[in-house]
Amino acid sequence: MQKVGIVGYYQVKLYSDANYGHYEMIFEASRGALDKAGLKKKDISTVISCTNDYYDGRTISNCFTVEVGGGYMADESKVEMDGAHAVLYGLMRVLSGNHNLAVVWGGSMPSCYPYHTVRLYETDPTWERSLAYVNDITSAGFQMRAYMEKYGVTVEEIAKVAVKNKKNAAKNPLALKEAQLANLTVKDVLDSGKYADPVTELMVAPPCDGVAALLLAPEKQALKITDKPVWITGVGYNQDAYYLGDRDLSGCKSMNLAAKMAYNAAGITDPYSEIDVAELFESYAHEELIFAEELGFADKGKGAEINSAINGDLAINPSGGALGGNPPCATGLIRVIEAVKQLTGEAGQYQVKGAKKAVASGQIGMCAQNNILYVLEAN
Amino acid sequence: MSEEKVIVANKGLIRADFAFWVGQYLDKFYNGLENKKIRGNKCPKCGDVFVPPRKICGKCNVVIPLEENWVDLPETGTIMNFTTTPYRVNDRSSRKTKDWTIGMIQIDGSNTSIIYRLLNMEPEDVKIGMKVKIEWNESTKGDPSDIKGFTKV
Amino acid sequence: MGRQVAIASAGFSEHASKRSDVSMPELVSEAIEDCLKNAPSVELGDIDAFVNGNMPAFEGSNIPELWMTDWMGARNKPLLRVTTGGTTGGTVAISGYYTVAAGLPGVDTVLAVAFEQQSQGDTSVGLASVAYGEISILNTLGIPYDQISRLLSAGAAIGVAAYQATTYMNKTKIKEEDLARVVVQNRRNAAKTWWAHLKMPNLTIEEVLDTPYVQYPLRYGMVCPASDGACAMLFTTEEKAKNMCDIPVYVNGVASVANESAVLGYDGSGSAQVDPSMQLGAIRSSELAYKQAGISFPRKEIDYAEVYAPFPNQQLLWTEKLGLFEEGTAPAMHEAGVTDFNGELPVNCSGGVNATNAIGASAMERPAEAALQIMGKASNQVPKTVHTAIGSGWGGSLNLITLMAMSDQPKRQWR
Repeated sequence: MQKVGIVGYYQVKLYSDANYGHYEMIFEASRGALDKAGLKKKDISTVISCTNDYYDGRTISNCFTVEVGGGYMADESKVEMDGAHAVLYGLMRVLSGNHNLAVVWGGSMPSCYPYHTVRLYETDPTWERSLAYVNDITSAGFQMRAYMEKYGVTVEEIAKVAVKNKKNAAKNPLALKEAQLANLTVKDVLDSGKYADPVTELMVAPPCDGVAALLLAPEKQALKITDKPVWITGVGYNQDAYYLGDRDLSGCKSMNLAAKMAYNAAGITDPYSEIDVAELFESYAHEELIFAEELGFADKGKGAEINSAINGDLAINPSGGALGGNPPCATGLIRVIEAVKQLTGEAGQYQVKGAKKAVASGQIGMCAQNNILYVLEAN
Repeated sequence: MSEEKVIVANKGLIRADFAFWVGQYLDKFYNGLENKKIRGNKCPKCGDVFVPPRKICGKCNVVIPLEENWVDLPETGTIMNFTTTPYRVNDRSSRKTKDWTIGMIQIDGSNTSIIYRLLNMEPEDVKIGMKVKIEWNESTKGDPSDIKGFTKV
Repeated sequence: MGRQVAIASAGFSEHASKRSDVSMPELVSEAIEDCLKNAPSVELGDIDAFVNGNMPAFEGSNIPELWMTDWMGARNKPLLRVTTGGTTGGTVAISGYYTVAAGLPGVDTVLAVAFEQQSQGDTSVGLASVAYGEISILNTLGIPYDQISRLLSAGAAIGVAAYQATTYMNKTKIKEEDLARVVVQNRRNAAKTWWAHLKMPNLTIEEVLDTPYVQYPLRYGMVCPASDGACAMLFTTEEKAKNMCDIPVYVNGVASVANESAVLGYDGSGSAQVDPSMQLGAIRSSELAYKQAGISFPRKEIDYAEVYAPFPNQQLLWTEKLGLFEEGTAPAMHEAGVTDFNGELPVNCSGGVNATNAIGASAMERPAEAALQIMGKASNQVPKTVHTAIGSGWGGSLNLITLMAMSDQPKRQWR
């Protein structure tokens, strides 16, 4: 795969209820990314955005964001999944040879819509939806129980992931304030209230307002735009069966296959030793363990044994991950940006020392039905 | 964030009704539910049985012909997974109230699970692998609510 | 970087105002079956990746590509979802092209699917909520929502088309007969297209004009229907296409440009300030796509065109803006029979959007039909040999134009 570089990025500070207009937030992100790269509107060749009509409460909501996103009179398109999938489409447009600078942005404002209700609209309206027994809340419970039953993983081991991520978020100035919990303990997590047993409230990535943007350019241009481009050396994406009853929820086959596709392109044969840092979109604490196993960082059921602290053997979510703030349509994109920061040495207090290769993931659908994984390398 | 005054606020409700065509496969299934019968269909290639029935087997990518491969299934099944939650979600909002327990139940003879309430069971007593059976609604309409939930066998 | 992409097949489901016999996933699988039927050497398992799109607000179902995974044959395969309002189908097709052009390892053959089952929802509410940001200002002034609902047509698609029509008619001095002529041409063509919705083989101009106005100058008889339907296209590499079909159709140019603003009413979408028949997006899209395809003289080099036009004035407008005819000459060209089935530059022989409009699918059905004309496999196949064709889309909010330029020769210009 030819090298495409990430040459600029910007993420707004996450708020549970930002006192912003949606368009202002998008402009801040898109403009911020261009400014970081020292580029102008006229340099933009293509724009790919990621929003969702149901999150914006408006039909064809993405067409009204063209102006503020930088896409006015540019060759642009829109994705309706996770921000990380928008990065994929931007990547494909650059790889095609048709475009030399792609702006990719995504985000939404859950403070303006009923999150769980909107997630309910993803379900099968001809079978499950009217009863609403299947929703994003119960799905979490099913997935965690399936994982624990299969491998004997304990609630404490899963709670430790939440503790780690919320503590990491406290070092990340852009993370959601309510998720920045530097003194959190395992007991706090287990006592935080029943969400969908065995999941507790603090194990759930909190929806919040946010938008992020990044810029992609082919190798030649990337080297001219910045002296610290980060290369996308592999990408994989995969979609599982829809019905929860059709899947083995103790694992994540779509993440496994997405990883295979990405590793194959990037030439990764031993992920645990080759990858220095992983930024994974974990909707729930237990998903981080499931993903780590599917990514080949540990055997099945042994995800909890990885030393995934910032200065550990393989840092996972040093930024706090989605547990540090989950702005739908931006979360996966932010994971990519956080991985980029690690590789350019711009991760401040949560910098993983000497990071050279990273992976970043995004997801969409109940129990991570569709996953996308990037392999990123420092210049 | 600074204190900003709200200048204009508009509050109102716009009603948008949706009615979904279920297709011919589910149509037959719901006719069965109305008669308190469970019918699935079987993939001619791998033999997997689906409840509710489907046009295409996702594993094999083959079409299961509409008039063939129907299987009558019993009212009993096995609990494959379950969760207890205080949350209720509907098409307008979500709220927290008393706990209820939802299970993923594999109907005997099928290869997937359906998701319904577990009735008359304390969460502590629910075990994966437990045998359960359908509790039907008094009057059935031919829609998913005909199955009220599952109870211990 | 990148590689040549070819279309190996295209397929459709039956379109009707109510496809009550199928659920949404089944409707989609119908189009996929038809697409694969036209490329018999390809099985569902041979597809490397999928692209899917529709207008989710019209069915009340969010990101339905998740639900219909198995029906598409997409289980444990890569899948991307793209939606852009009325142009969704066009952008899904373009995304199918990019997925192949990118050359990701192992991704050579891509199935792009676009669909809509509007009968399930309330299309007028769906359309209204495009404009509601502006309409709610009227609420604030004391006008209740129900009373505004008829005004909403002024802000939604037909209202915009009406503004485009009046400004265009003002420039070209055409009459309503010229609009009706386009409608008659489209619907008589639709009668010969197996999957189309409004099949009217004997329609006359008088019959079209004998219907009441919806909004001047557009009459009920001129307006597109609301259809349920799906479309699928098969994209692959130059090498593989040769084994899948007799005449691979090479995608040589793609573009989707919009001059859209955050507020409806700015910049040519229907305000009095700017002329909405200017169509900056269409002009720029055709510049980009033709340059990429090496087309310098579209009027001479393009043999066939499927131009997205739910309303007849738009067919006149965009055949000009997309460079097929000189400014202001489209009505005369239509009257002279240039755009007829056996004319020099046939347009919309499938019946176009004016005869079938499943919103999510219709912008894909344009390049799909154009590709089939090049392959010689279209339902209403024109007598002349088609070497180069275009398929366009219109939508977004109001000014996004997608364009795909195709040919039986791989002629893509490389950067």
